[in-house]
Amino acid sequence: MSLEGKLALVTGGGRGIGRAIALKLASQGADIVINFFRRRDTAEQTAKEIEALGAKAEIFRANVGDPAKIDEMFDMIGNKFGHLDILISNAASGVGRPVMDIDVKAWQWTMDINTRACLLCSQRAARLMEGRGGKIVSLSSLGSFLVWPTYAVVGVSKAALEALTRYLAIELAPRGICVNAVAASFVETEALRFYFEEQLGKGNLPITPAGRMVATEDIANVVAFLCSEEAFMIRGQTIIVDGGFSLYNPLFARERKD
Amino acid sequence: MTVEEQIREIMARITHVDGSIITRESTFKDIKADSLDVVQALVAVEETFGIEIPDEEAQKFQSFGDFVSYVENQVAQKERV
Repeated sequence: MSLEGKLALVTGGGRGIGRAIALKLASQGADIVINFFRRRDTAEQTAKEIEALGAKAEIFRANVGDPAKIDEMFDMIGNKFGHLDILISNAASGVGRPVMDIDVKAWQWTMDINTRACLLCSQRAARLMEGRGGKIVSLSSLGSFLVWPTYAVVGVSKAALEALTRYLAIELAPRGICVNAVAASFVETEALRFYFEEQLGKGNLPITPAGRMVATEDIANVVAFLCSEEAFMIRGQTIIVDGGFSLYNPLFARERKD
Repeated sequence: MTVEEQIREIMARITHVDGSIITRESTFKDIKADSLDVVQALVAVEETFGIEIPDEEAQKFQSFGDFVSYVENQVAQKERV
């Protein structure tokens, strides 16, 4: 129970990777604030599961793309708890389009949610971590440096997020705050089906050299490690959790068949 | 302004179409609203009327009229409380 007595905010914590992280941190004793936006039902369900683990859970609806809503959320945390120990900047959105079809609206929407929200949440979180230190982990994607069809805006937003993670790590270090990111490849979630099922084909999800798809729990395990004292000297890094997917070369395909 | 007029104005602002072409029978495609436009319209409508439109409900909207009817019901329910 290494996170006993700690309070964590998980943005987009109601489903998918965020849910797995919320449950993992709760299983280690942390109380959780789950931020959600479009799905109250899954956020409520996750909160119940957290409570069943013996931790406290609070849900808060906010579009993190809206700075006023971020303020409301942190005002609530400040008033109700007075502090924060862990921020998981996980909420993400995106518009799947080829570069030639990206318009200002699609760009802005994605950047506001995937990148700017991390900055604004980190600023508010750092104040609530004053005098006690803390951990910030943001969720990135291999699309920050690999090119996938229609993933341009999201990929760019994640590349910026990783750069932001490095700046936050250095500038918040004197406050005792450790900042890192975790980059996942294709993780079995609703979002994956939503964005990639058309390209991948139904039931044709990519396996990895490790022999299976990355599961949400694989990501949650690494995030929990980055939230532990054992990871104290890891700063500003983006840890790739992809079962070797990004290192895999098609030349190996022949070897496999033999 | 009625609920319908307010939603029409929001929709027209987001999709840059002339509000007068939006009827109850219009589909989102008719209004040239892509999935991002629809989400942004939902958010704007939620804030305007102080209601919450769950995704599972929004996914059922086949037309502008479905959207308006849902919001009208929610607003009426809210006023009753």
